[in-house]
Amino acid sequence: MDLLRLLQTIDRRFIYALLLLAVSAPFFLSIRIPVPISPQTQALYNAIEALPPNSFVLLGADWSAGSRGENRPQTEALMRHLMKRKLRFALLCFDPQAATLTETMAKRLQSEYGVQEGVNWVNWGYKVDLENFLKALVLNVPQTVSADINGTPVANLPVMQGIQTARDIRMILDVTPSETFKAYIQFVQGTYKIPMGLAPTSVMAPEAFNYLDSGQLIGMINGLQGAIEYEQKVGYVGQATRAGLSSSFAHLLIISLILLGNLAMLLQRRQRARLLEGRR
Amino acid sequence: MTWFSPWLSAHLPTLLVWIGAICTLGLYSVLYRENRLYRLFEHIFLGLATGYLVAQTWTDVLLPKWWVPMWDKGQWVYIFALVAGLFYYFIYSRRHNWLARLMIGFFLGVASGRTFQAFVNDTWPQIPTSFKPVVPHPALRDATGKVVAKAVTWPDAINNILFLVILLCVMSYFFFSFEQKNAVLRRSAQWGRWLLMFAFGAIFGQTIMARLALLIDRVDYLLNDFGPAIGGPVVMFAVLMVLAALVLFLALRPGAREREPGEEP
Repeated sequence: MDLLRLLQTIDRRFIYALLLLAVSAPFFLSIRIPVPISPQTQALYNAIEALPPNSFVLLGADWSAGSRGENRPQTEALMRHLMKRKLRFALLCFDPQAATLTETMAKRLQSEYGVQEGVNWVNWGYKVDLENFLKALVLNVPQTVSADINGTPVANLPVMQGIQTARDIRMILDVTPSETFKAYIQFVQGTYKIPMGLAPTSVMAPEAFNYLDSGQLIGMINGLQGAIEYEQKVGYVGQATRAGLSSSFAHLLIISLILLGNLAMLLQRRQRARLLEGRR
Repeated sequence: MTWFSPWLSAHLPTLLVWIGAICTLGLYSVLYRENRLYRLFEHIFLGLATGYLVAQTWTDVLLPKWWVPMWDKGQWVYIFALVAGLFYYFIYSRRHNWLARLMIGFFLGVASGRTFQAFVNDTWPQIPTSFKPVVPHPALRDATGKVVAKAVTWPDAINNILFLVILLCVMSYFFFSFEQKNAVLRRSAQWGRWLLMFAFGAIFGQTIMARLALLIDRVDYLLNDFGPAIGGPVVMFAVLMVLAALVLFLALRPGAREREPGEEP
């Protein structure tokens, strides 16, 4: 088999092995590639910075273990920013795993920022029927949520003081690997024009750019790359920043392989054309 | 069994990272080829996720929202939720399936009504924001000096013209109601198709990025969470490299080469 043909028929397992090396080796390197902050990440950061102290933010977390690689660092970056600014926030999950995953995260971070469950943040827990729940939430928050994840009536919690309808929510944030953000736009953001930020997985991000352009979204954390940028803005080295170099190496490898495969194909075509010409 | 509980609480963190690592490696074994180990872990994962969903739906939703009010607080009217839900099963009865249709019709009505609001809040705001200024101008102010229209610079104007051209080309591609005989329309539709291809390419690139992020998370877990349990991240890195070498050896040994699509056995 000649080299040009070999380059187009590399065994996929050889590529997997190379990818594994490209992803794992950078964890042992101390190089940091500078990451410019994208406008949409900067816009979201600025919007949270501009919120008045003690504002109430709704942090939707609709992800599970399957999209942990992107959604966990996004959630952590947003949660750290909210805690750092001492803004009140409620976690709302339409995925059963998210309720537990975000609860663990918030409990881990709260002592670092001197905030307290029930006073600065609350976990409304796992809820079903996304659209009808949000429609009801707009009209009456305490009645719709009724109790937090621990079974405490939310109306009795200090964090919920002054929160009656969706009008009292100053900002909505949704961390999601799916289209749940559209339901927030359709039934909450659109109704009272509440500023809304989004943290989707990279695969979902292209669909969100329309909403950014129209102003329905004020900013966005685009996948792992966005999480790296946001970690920089908040000022800590987290899971996303640690993964940054691996991501760059893996992308470089894939781009190189695509170029190499296509180059080999073009050269082989030219070789065949010459052979045919020679025979004529 | 009195010894088990203290032992479990003492060893639980270690046990969990071991289970996580074994499951991760078991699931990734499919990269070599389809195998029983992969199938086993796939079924465990699906079973766990489904079981978790059912348990969480009961404890977080049905118990506090339905069972406790009905059973403990005597709000018997909640029983109708169960009755209405059970109506769906009449779909299997030829004689009484109208009862199922009743419920389906009711919920279709609810969903249709909701769609009106959804459309208004979702799509309408995007229509006026598509009308973008294409002529550069300074900021426009009213009599009180308040800015009513932001300044448009030359780069903004070029960007907006590009946006409008792309919008019109892509929209013209979707004129299916009549035959596109007009040369201008035909050309813009062709451009629209190409522009859509660019968008799909970008989406595909983003998809690769998302999948890589998931792989990186698992490798991070194996190196930095599980690694310390077997002597450190470097040891785990060595284990991963040995496993990769083994897979390569098995894959590339004579006679083990995968057939190309369409190649005869």
